[in-house]
Amino acid sequence: MITSIFVAVAVLTIVAIVFGIILGFAADKFKVEGNPIIDQVEALLPQTQCGQCGYPGCRPYAEAIANGDKVNKCPPGGTATMEKLAELMGVDPEPLNQEAQEAVKKVAYIREDECIGCTKCIQACPVDAIVGTGKLMHTVIAKDCTGCDLCVEPCPVDCIDMLPVQTTLKNWDWKLNAIPVTLVSDSQEEK
Amino acid sequence: MLTLLEQLDKGSLWQSPGGIHPPELKELSNTQAISRLPLAKHFIVPVPQVGEQARLLIDVGQTVLKGQLLTEGNGFLYLPVHAPTSGKVTDIKPVASNHASGLAVLSIIIEADGLDTWCQLNASDPNTLSHSELIFKIKQAGISGMGGATFPTHIKLNTASEIGLVIINGVECEPYITADDRLMREHSHEILKGIEIIHRLLSPQRIIIAIEDNKPEAAKAMQQAISLSNLPANSTRVTVIPTKYPSGGEKQLIQIITGKEVPSGCLPSQLGIVVQNVGTAYAIQDAIYFGKPLIERVVTFTGKNIHQPGNYWLPIGTPITAALERVGFQPSTTQKLIIGGPMMGYAINDTYVPVLKGTNCVLAPSDDEISPDMDEKACIRCGECALACPALLLPQQLFWHAKAEEYDKAASFNLQDCIECGCCSYVCPSDIPLVEYYRIAKSALRIAAEEKVLAEQAKLRFEARLQRLEDEKIAREAKAKAAAEKRQANMKSSDKDAVAAAMARIAAKKAAQSHEVNQPVNTQSDKAVTETTDKKTAVSAAIARAKAKKAAQTAQSHSSAENNPSQAESTALNEQDNITTEVMSQKDRIAAAVARAKAKKAAQNNQANPSVLAVNNVSEMTTSDDVKNDKKAKVAAAIAKAKAKKLHQTGSTDNATEIEPTETHSVIITATNNTVITEKPVTGSKIDATDLDKKARVALAIAKAKAKKSQQKDDKIIGYEDQHPLASRSEVHHNEPISTDIDTESVADVVLNDPEKDKKARIAAAVAKAKAKQLQQTETKNLELALSNAASQADNFDSATLDKKAKIAAAVAKAKAKKLALQADKKD
Amino acid sequence: MAFKIASSPHVGNTLQTAKVMQRVALCLLPGIAAQLYFFGFGTLFQIAIAVITAYAAEAVILAMRNRPIKSTLADNSALVTALLLAIAIPPLAPWWIIVIGTLFSIIIVKHLYGGLGNNLFNPAMAGYVLLLISFPVQMTDWVSPMSAAQQSVTLSYAWQVVFDSASDILLAGHNLAIDGTTMATPLDTLKTDLSMGITTHESLAKPIFSGMAGLGWFEVNFAFLIGGLIMLKLKVIRWQISVGILSALFLCSSFGFLLNPDTHVSPIMHLFSGGTMLAAFFIATDPVTAATSARGRIIFGAMIGVLIYVIRTFGGYPDAVAFAVLLANMCAPFIDHYVRPRAYGHRSGS
Repeated sequence: MITSIFVAVAVLTIVAIVFGIILGFAADKFKVEGNPIIDQVEALLPQTQCGQCGYPGCRPYAEAIANGDKVNKCPPGGTATMEKLAELMGVDPEPLNQEAQEAVKKVAYIREDECIGCTKCIQACPVDAIVGTGKLMHTVIAKDCTGCDLCVEPCPVDCIDMLPVQTTLKNWDWKLNAIPVTLVSDSQEEK
Repeated sequence: MLTLLEQLDKGSLWQSPGGIHPPELKELSNTQAISRLPLAKHFIVPVPQVGEQARLLIDVGQTVLKGQLLTEGNGFLYLPVHAPTSGKVTDIKPVASNHASGLAVLSIIIEADGLDTWCQLNASDPNTLSHSELIFKIKQAGISGMGGATFPTHIKLNTASEIGLVIINGVECEPYITADDRLMREHSHEILKGIEIIHRLLSPQRIIIAIEDNKPEAAKAMQQAISLSNLPANSTRVTVIPTKYPSGGEKQLIQIITGKEVPSGCLPSQLGIVVQNVGTAYAIQDAIYFGKPLIERVVTFTGKNIHQPGNYWLPIGTPITAALERVGFQPSTTQKLIIGGPMMGYAINDTYVPVLKGTNCVLAPSDDEISPDMDEKACIRCGECALACPALLLPQQLFWHAKAEEYDKAASFNLQDCIECGCCSYVCPSDIPLVEYYRIAKSALRIAAEEKVLAEQAKLRFEARLQRLEDEKIAREAKAKAAAEKRQANMKSSDKDAVAAAMARIAAKKAAQSHEVNQPVNTQSDKAVTETTDKKTAVSAAIARAKAKKAAQTAQSHSSAENNPSQAESTALNEQDNITTEVMSQKDRIAAAVARAKAKKAAQNNQANPSVLAVNNVSEMTTSDDVKNDKKAKVAAAIAKAKAKKLHQTGSTDNATEIEPTETHSVIITATNNTVITEKPVTGSKIDATDLDKKARVALAIAKAKAKKSQQKDDKIIGYEDQHPLASRSEVHHNEPISTDIDTESVADVVLNDPEKDKKARIAAAVAKAKAKQLQQTETKNLELALSNAASQADNFDSATLDKKAKIAAAVAKAKAKKLALQADKKD
Repeated sequence: MAFKIASSPHVGNTLQTAKVMQRVALCLLPGIAAQLYFFGFGTLFQIAIAVITAYAAEAVILAMRNRPIKSTLADNSALVTALLLAIAIPPLAPWWIIVIGTLFSIIIVKHLYGGLGNNLFNPAMAGYVLLLISFPVQMTDWVSPMSAAQQSVTLSYAWQVVFDSASDILLAGHNLAIDGTTMATPLDTLKTDLSMGITTHESLAKPIFSGMAGLGWFEVNFAFLIGGLIMLKLKVIRWQISVGILSALFLCSSFGFLLNPDTHVSPIMHLFSGGTMLAAFFIATDPVTAATSARGRIIFGAMIGVLIYVIRTFGGYPDAVAFAVLLANMCAPFIDHYVRPRAYGHRSGS
């Protein structure tokens, strides 16, 4: 009886030691440098750098998510991004904590006649998409604008509008149902 | 085992997977010869038609001739646009496009004069032209693929790959369309001439003219034409292929003729194969032999709701409405109007759209010809679509993912290889518009890919910005530290400072006395010189004052770190207030301060960019020193310190040249504003004409000194010149942000280069500024003091807490003035 | 002037889902006729009950799911499911058997998975398996195909058995009234005999095995084969699955038969007995639950064929079609995932 207990303890001890060695070896051998989850999270974020999540940019928010922050703080990414983040992090999707922005992509536009050249928007722009200098009008480099909205608030004369990106033949999305159709019968009646 | 060439010569065919056999219905339109319709009254010529950008060569109201070049451009895909007929350009505006989206695109509206007068055409003999000349001519003729994709032909004909086989596509597998059929029957010789040119350009081993077996007449005509052509014997043959949709697709045709598959994402030229449409060959012939640009094409008008179906030569840009009127179009209530064939064509909802280079058919079917709109039903995974797919895709899987908007999964099922032929939708028992789903999925994927690139760029820019801000912060701290140390050192040697100040003052006086012609310091003062002397002097004085003021202000703003300077500053202000009668000495002092600052600056710069001369300059001045006034020296020291500090801060900017114009401009504004201000209070103050005179002289002296100094430095160190505007800039601005680019330079130029408008603007600005100032003045408690010495009073208030409202008002007024100037400029 | 817009293509063929289903139903007719001839009119009532139940159940559940009722009912898919189930169960099974089976097929197997096109399992076979497991006695009592018995199953008799004696069967588990008219199927008999140590030769000598593969069964299977060939001709189904099943079953049974004829029956017996032909042409070819690519379908069919043989030979149940189909259904997504055709311009699949 005593011997069997002794044997059991001995076996378990050996097993524990063996697995401990294996684990230790694996931890050393397959060590992951950095935190790849942050990069994965960041890759999902829209990179508008708008700061609406409460962090100064997308990378810090990605780090925060990796450390367990909620995934629903990114209005520019919308529900789609939130769901992807939730999937990646293995958490339940939650509704966005702010009203999600409309799906329409927007860019800032400065009404140049009204710009007084205060440079406040330039300082606000997280991606340096506004050019201009003191006392001269500023303008937005539309292709670099992420539509983050951050320049609208600081403008003292409210000359910045967020305009939806124009649909052209190049970026048309083939949504035929969105084309306004006038009925043939109507136009015939007009004739 | 036969080689590929032997197989080609034998006419061996391979099987293309999938495909369908829709009713052909070609007999509707292939019985009559191609005819012409009366010329339309208006033409809509979209610009650009192929390529991203183009520059217009004509303007509204201009008369154009048929074939005249309307645009120029230099994009890779750019093709020129030509006038389809002679007439007058009545408008250039966005008009609904001949595109599935119907979105408006910029179009030139030409009102035809009915004469159809050709412009000068350069006919040529292809044998006398070099390859590059041929390519250039084809490009200039604006020839693009006529099969529908409108890819520029000259790119295909100028490929770097070795071409072994050219396939001339006369398959025309879409039901209804007979444009190529008729063209081959009636113009086989012209097509062969075009093929000869293609042969010259690409020198392939074989040319295969592929024609479906439902067009025996066309095949016969082409066969005859080959025997009469100048092409090398046995190099060209007609290969009749079985009728099946979509055999005419480029990839499918290559597979049928050669058995090879074009690798996914590659061009056929990688296999040494080029496919050209018969219509394109015809257009090449027209362009080379007759110099005619591609301004008309054969369009099939067919469908049971068109009373005179057939093929017509239509100038590109003809509104489809106009053509439909002439072929007896009777729309039904649920009419669909399809551009292209029933399989791949798109329905348009507006007929006021132009015929384009790729418009091969206008189909107006009756209701019983096309399938009625059916509700989409559930996919039963019957797999018929997969059997019909010529690209061997799994359409139902694609649909599954596309519908669920799992576009990345759809992409993993090779969505990008879908040629949108419509076979899957055709066979679908559940009436699912599969192709529509794929198009939406494809465009979503494309947009997502673009957005990903943009997001990556945004990230890089954001990171670059963070890095820059960080660097600036570190640099600023370092400079601030250095400045603080220097300041302490300077405190100990205040005597030396005083000496320097006095020396500078003397230099300034001397300069003023000499009354030399004023040397322009910068463009601003240059302008000023051209105006009346009075004004000039006033402006100079104003500049001087403004600079002094700014310097003082700056000094004060840093008061927490610099108790001593701010004390000096306030002393200086007190001085100004007290010694109102001694205007001369006051002015002297200010001038001295400015000069002192310059000296200081020079010294500072010398530390950064060692300059023996500048050091010498300072020491020279020091030796000729005449110590007079301790207070003056103190003021000068304070200002100098402030400037030094500024210099340090701005010194961290690495782009001095960009800032220069802006700076100059701001100086003007400040200066002009102050001009009025100085003049205005004069009337109510004790300052008399002599004072003004003196002021002017002092100002002149300053300007002179500046000019001299900058010249001196110019002689020795060029690098210093770059620093100079930076330094002067620091006198005017507190926190100048650094921008990456300056588009606004031109605005500054406009203001600078037109003195008259400049003046208007200045007056407006000045009045506004004055008003703002007056507002301040009324608020002040020391009203008397203000009246007694308005100028210094204003200074005082400037340095004191400024009312924010007033500031903004002034800013807005300035902006308005600027606008006014611009508008005035535009009107002229 | 404005016109209607729609995505290309603007033409399409007219063979729509409803028509496909209708043709499937029509092609079942030869087999149904043969079944009525050899096994009496019971099947007729089963069909009637199944069809009514199926449509009613579908209408109710569509209403509950807020889906269009009329257009969905018109796709005839419920009809085909009901027919297949009614054919598969014993002709004289009590009415509630078929009602339970149909309800399960339509509501649980089809609509709870999302309706037509989304169901993982073949509804008819899933229903059949449910019944087979839950009511083994009723589900294995087939009408004797003897000519005398066949004549005895008249319309009124069938009506009486299917409807009136329900309670008796429920209570007794076996209805005396139909004793003598029902018996085990040939495959069942064979299985029982083999388990008792009787060789196939001895077993096949029994009168039930008169004919090629059991009296009546051969003819019924042959009729389904004809219906299936018509469907192939009409391109309602493609050949891959049917050929896969039949050839795999043939190969396996030939192998077994050659190896040990004493314990294995001939390939003919396998191909023309039980539900082989019904499965090969009408059940396994249900596209919703089958693999989709051509190659995948051959694999799918072959898998069913092998499973039928394995379960018939080594399993506990006499016939194995339903189990084989359901097991293959489970594997269909897996097959689809790994058997993708090589797309144009790509070196290899995947």
